[in-house]
Amino acid sequence: MHFKFKGRKTLRLLHRDLGYFIVGMVIVYAVSGIFLNHRYDINPNYRVYSENFTVNPSANDLKTEAGIKTILKELPYNLNYKKHYINKNGVVKVFVENGDVTIDSSGNGALQYLEQRPFIYSMNRLHKSSIGSTWKRVSDVMAFILIFVAVSGLFLLKGKRGFWRWGLWWMLAGVAVPLVFALIFI
Amino acid sequence: MKKLVLFSLAVLVLVACGQQPKKQKKNVAETPVQKALVLSVDDLLKKAPELADKEVMVKGTVLHVCKHGGKRCFLMGSTEELIIRVEAGEKIGAFTQEQVGSELEITGMLKEIKTKADEHRPGAEEEEHHHDTKETEEAHKIIDKSNKKAGKRFFIKGSSVKTL
Repeated sequence: MHFKFKGRKTLRLLHRDLGYFIVGMVIVYAVSGIFLNHRYDINPNYRVYSENFTVNPSANDLKTEAGIKTILKELPYNLNYKKHYINKNGVVKVFVENGDVTIDSSGNGALQYLEQRPFIYSMNRLHKSSIGSTWKRVSDVMAFILIFVAVSGLFLLKGKRGFWRWGLWWMLAGVAVPLVFALIFI
Repeated sequence: MKKLVLFSLAVLVLVACGQQPKKQKKNVAETPVQKALVLSVDDLLKKAPELADKEVMVKGTVLHVCKHGGKRCFLMGSTEELIIRVEAGEKIGAFTQEQVGSELEITGMLKEIKTKADEHRPGAEEEEHHHDTKETEEAHKIIDKSNKKAGKRFFIKGSSVKTL
């Protein structure tokens, strides 16, 4: 098919520079996208450490802050006490920085300690636009730039490997992947 | 070109830095609620039917934050049986796991749960195979139990949060 397109040079320049510009954002969305895809397999934001332990309830005061702090000192992860309460079943629930500890009346305890995944945590917050409305507008602009880079890329080459004789088929194959899944599963 | 990019980055940093205090000022300025009484979770649950669809300020201890992104948290009153769910919404964005066990003051709209979407039960929306954590399920059970007694069910659509 003969297709004459004026302005290819401008398109190429814009595609090149905006392509360079958008690469950081694409990496943020792609890397966090992988983590968020697997959010029910792993915690995408935190590494979670769990441990079970036992304490002697008669030797340890499980009701006072001082008694609980003594127990926390013996546990790993250098836990810092925040507050605690005792529920109606007699289970002591202790809030610590980045986690919690529970100890039942017979002295069986469990602790959960969370550690933020460096970089990934921030990327996920950006991806999910959960840092307020200014970022939402900025990421909208970046998304439009990405759309422009994607669409302008279709029309960069002429001839045998150009869009109409070559790229079209690759594009249709790429569109078919989500389309097939959408038609079958949605 | 290099100068242009460096200049643009500098402008961007300045704009981004300039936005934040402005936003905080706006939150302070938006405030007939600033003077309003801050309720405990216990009091809020007692007065909930008359406060429905009104802006409320409530303080309580964060019992649990949704593990999958912090879109909601459960605020606890004087006992584990007195809990209200708070949706972070766009203004708060998300709660963090670091806030669990902290005392928060939440401003938001008290809403009655009328639809499945309001209810936000794990598996009811979003994901077919969604399984929430044991703690979230436990918190939902406690809320269900207290709601059965109260008849009506409520949650807060959060608009701002302050760590006490």
